[in-house]
Amino acid sequence: MTISQVGQAPRTRADYLPGDHGMWFFIVGDLLIFGVYFLCYMVYRGQNLDVFLYSQQFLSQGIGVANTIVLLTSSLFVALATEAVREHKIRDAGRLLSLAIVLGALFPVLKMVEWIPKISAGHTPGENLFFMYYYVMTGLHLLHVLLGLCIMAFMLRNLRQAAQPDIKFIEIGAIYWHMVDVLWLVLLAVFYLMR
Amino acid sequence: MIAYLKNPLTTVWAILSLITVAAWLIGRNVGTDLQPSHAVTLSVLLIAAAKAQLVIMYFMEVRSAPRWLKRVAYGWVLVLFPLLYLTNQLVN
Repeated sequence: MTISQVGQAPRTRADYLPGDHGMWFFIVGDLLIFGVYFLCYMVYRGQNLDVFLYSQQFLSQGIGVANTIVLLTSSLFVALATEAVREHKIRDAGRLLSLAIVLGALFPVLKMVEWIPKISAGHTPGENLFFMYYYVMTGLHLLHVLLGLCIMAFMLRNLRQAAQPDIKFIEIGAIYWHMVDVLWLVLLAVFYLMR
Repeated sequence: MIAYLKNPLTTVWAILSLITVAAWLIGRNVGTDLQPSHAVTLSVLLIAAAKAQLVIMYFMEVRSAPRWLKRVAYGWVLVLFPLLYLTNQLVN
């Protein structure tokens, strides 16, 4: 499929698969695995509600919400960059993707701003089941963010160096980054906000 | 670049951001003694489900994807969030 064909396809066809089957199988698998983790967390939460609610008050909701806006905005820029590539606006796509990377890189920084004072105050993974789940699951998610940032760096290189950008590669990276966003939306709800 | 502000995806992003702040206001921790609240939990999970669905439909472009992918992706949202709520209600 040529770039021009891809550029016209998504808006006119109702059965266009962004990215490829391989990445979607990975994404569905990751969503299912995290889904099981979320359910396990809810079971332990129900069995130890006092401990979980007590521990939850030490989380920084403001940083959690700020990181949500950071990821949502970064996702928006990636989605707009994908559209720009399809419309052959490669320079715009490069700028949008650069903005997405800068915003995405803010996430680990804010995560450290959140984690370091907590660990210093003694809220470590060994304190109780809540903090164990909190560090393991947000830590696993952070690894996904770091991998996403690496993928986006390769996407940017493809946009800047290739004679013709590889739209499928751009889409694959984009849907991965959006999945990272979706997982964080659940983490925010179950760890920071629900009671 | 300003033209991108008028893109429908930017509208979706604005809705996502607004309901994120709404969920924060609902689940905001104002004291040191958190009490269980089914109303807060239900609201927060409903908003999270709506956000996940919006990202999957519009950013991940599943709304224009083949039917099998729609079923799997929307199914994940439709099964996971009710299960999270029911688990929270039933396990104590």
